[in-house]
Amino acid sequence: MAITFEQVNFSYGQGSLSQPILKDISTTIPSGKITAIIGQTGSGKSTLVQHINGLLKPTNGKVIINDFELTSQTKEKQLVALRAQVGMVFQFPESQLFANTVLEDVMYGSLNFGQDHLAAKEAAQAALTMVGLPSQHWDKSPFALSGGQMRRVAIAGTLALNPPIIVLDEPAAGLDPLGQAELVKLMLNLKKQDKTVVLISHQMDQVMTVADWTLVMHQGQVIAAETPTTLFNRPLSWFKKVHLDLPTAGQFAQQLMAQGWQFKERPLTLEQLAQAINQEVTIHE
Amino acid sequence: MEKAITIKNLKYQYDQNQPLFDGLNLNIEQGQWVALVGHNGSGKSTLAKLILGLLVADEGEIAVLGQTLSEDSVDEIRGQIGMVFQNPDNQFVGATVADDVAFGLENLEVPSEAMSAKIQAALEVVGMEEFTDREPHHLSGGQKQRVALASVLALEPKIIILDEATAMLDPDGRQMVQATLKKLKQLYGSELTLITITHDMDEASLADRVVVVNDGQLVMDGQPNQVFAQGATLAKIGLELPFSMQLIQRLDPRPQNYMNQQELLAWLSPLNK
Ligand SMILES: Nc1ncnc2c1ncn2[C@@H]1O[C@H](COP(=O)(O)OP(=O)(O)OP(=O)(O)O)[C@@H](O)[C@H]1O
Ligand SMILES: Nc1ncnc2c1ncn2[C@@H]1O[C@H](COP(=O)(O)OP(=O)(O)OP(=O)(O)O)[C@@H](O)[C@H]1O
Ligand SMILES: [Mg+2]
Ligand SMILES: [Mg+2]
Repeated sequence: MAITFEQVNFSYGQGSLSQPILKDISTTIPSGKITAIIGQTGSGKSTLVQHINGLLKPTNGKVIINDFELTSQTKEKQLVALRAQVGMVFQFPESQLFANTVLEDVMYGSLNFGQDHLAAKEAAQAALTMVGLPSQHWDKSPFALSGGQMRRVAIAGTLALNPPIIVLDEPAAGLDPLGQAELVKLMLNLKKQDKTVVLISHQMDQVMTVADWTLVMHQGQVIAAETPTTLFNRPLSWFKKVHLDLPTAGQFAQQLMAQGWQFKERPLTLEQLAQAINQEVTIHE
Repeated sequence: MEKAITIKNLKYQYDQNQPLFDGLNLNIEQGQWVALVGHNGSGKSTLAKLILGLLVADEGEIAVLGQTLSEDSVDEIRGQIGMVFQNPDNQFVGATVADDVAFGLENLEVPSEAMSAKIQAALEVVGMEEFTDREPHHLSGGQKQRVALASVLALEPKIIILDEATAMLDPDGRQMVQATLKKLKQLYGSELTLITITHDMDEASLADRVVVVNDGQLVMDGQPNQVFAQGATLAKIGLELPFSMQLIQRLDPRPQNYMNQQELLAWLSPLNK
């Protein structure tokens, strides 16, 4: 299910809040792929994705989610249809936890959409297992969890609904290395099921490994829409200008180049970097 | 030298079935920068809350700058510790960004003439000086983390604890925080003790000392080069190595010991004739 933004403008309100946050955004998030949205703090990433499930509505312009048209005129009642299509994990997971127990929290959405108790429970258990939360925590209050554990519950709550579009706003923040590896696997798995995944991330290494497509936001505008490989081969001066970094491997390669090393292509992953260094060393021996 | 923090035989459990800390001992010297790492749920935030007196130990003793933590001393001890919590939303108290930074200063009875300069300076460090009149809850995630950090920096505390304070920062923000911490360490020397809780091993490698907890137990403790030389042990408890070590493992030829990125760059240099 593709998502298309057509000349979307947005501001949070009137008066002091009237400044434009999204400025004339026209772009498409491809169906069945993993799209990463990157950009500086405050550039408008979270604001943009909240237009995908109608939590925010464009002040001007429209968002087309599959065959649903979201405009400033869309009524709350109509949004029910959209919310079943789009699962969203928010930047601060606590904000979406509320039930008495972890299991009930993850079951809530499915029950709400009319699934029977047993099916909802099975979906919840499967989702919790997928995010790697040990079952000893399932009957606890979701607020009696560590930060990373809460994040896992929030992700599970969205997975359990099995929506065709999944939006993850900085899901890796606070996850330990195993949790991050599980998250990557999970996103690739969703893609295999032909779901549309939207990922906001400040971790360029993660973007390079999982994303098929990237949108770069800068001061409320989408200033680049391309594959991660194309993006991370842009000139360094561009990254400086938009306050972004290369993946760690690319940064390290850049420092080697400053020492006189030469690489045929800019290494962007750990494997590429190791291979490029080993090759250079062999040539010179 | 006086210890910044001493923890003796600490016992704590949230619920009846299982103790989280069952006799933990840990000393932190004044002026030390300690990175506290461990998998999700290993007890890092709980330990920080016990040090702050937000949670009360079941048994054992915690002392901060020579003073034993008790009902009588808890306020004074909290006055010496600046903590950035894992979720900044839980720590905002002011109606505006400036009020929020001012709040702690008022508690320290900073005279009002000095106040606005201090607020301005702290917000400038984190690049949020243009947001003074904004409501903290109406900021982006990274902006919130920056303000939370400014509120702590403004207090110039003797001990700073950052619980995942860079998790939502953009690359600029991360560099800003790391540079600020290094600068403060230089400026205050043994007067400033830093505890950073993080899942980012590259950030942890900046510390003087890395303490690894696993399910409430202290399992490794040493300088970054000692801890990160033990990749297999770290992997077993679900942790990873810093980028430089992950790269070293894939190189041929490769250095035999731990190196940080700068050291590895220097080591590689003569290989490129
Ligand atoms: N509820 C709100 N009311 C008013 N302004 C807001 C609100 N939420 C965000 N903003 C402002 O809108 C701009 C974009 O915020 P947004 O949260 O979309 O940024 P972001 O790209 O997600 O940043 P981050 O990487 O820090 O999460 C920021 O300048 C922010 O201060
Ligand atoms: N209020 C609470 N009531 C009961 N158990 C809790 C509570 N808070 C945390 N726990 C449990 O205590 C353990 C340690 O939690 P803590 O928050 O200290 O972990 P952490 O190391 O900070 O993890 P993270 O990296 O995910 O932030 C976890 O298993 C968690 O589920
Ligand atoms: Mg955001
Ligand atoms: Mg924690």
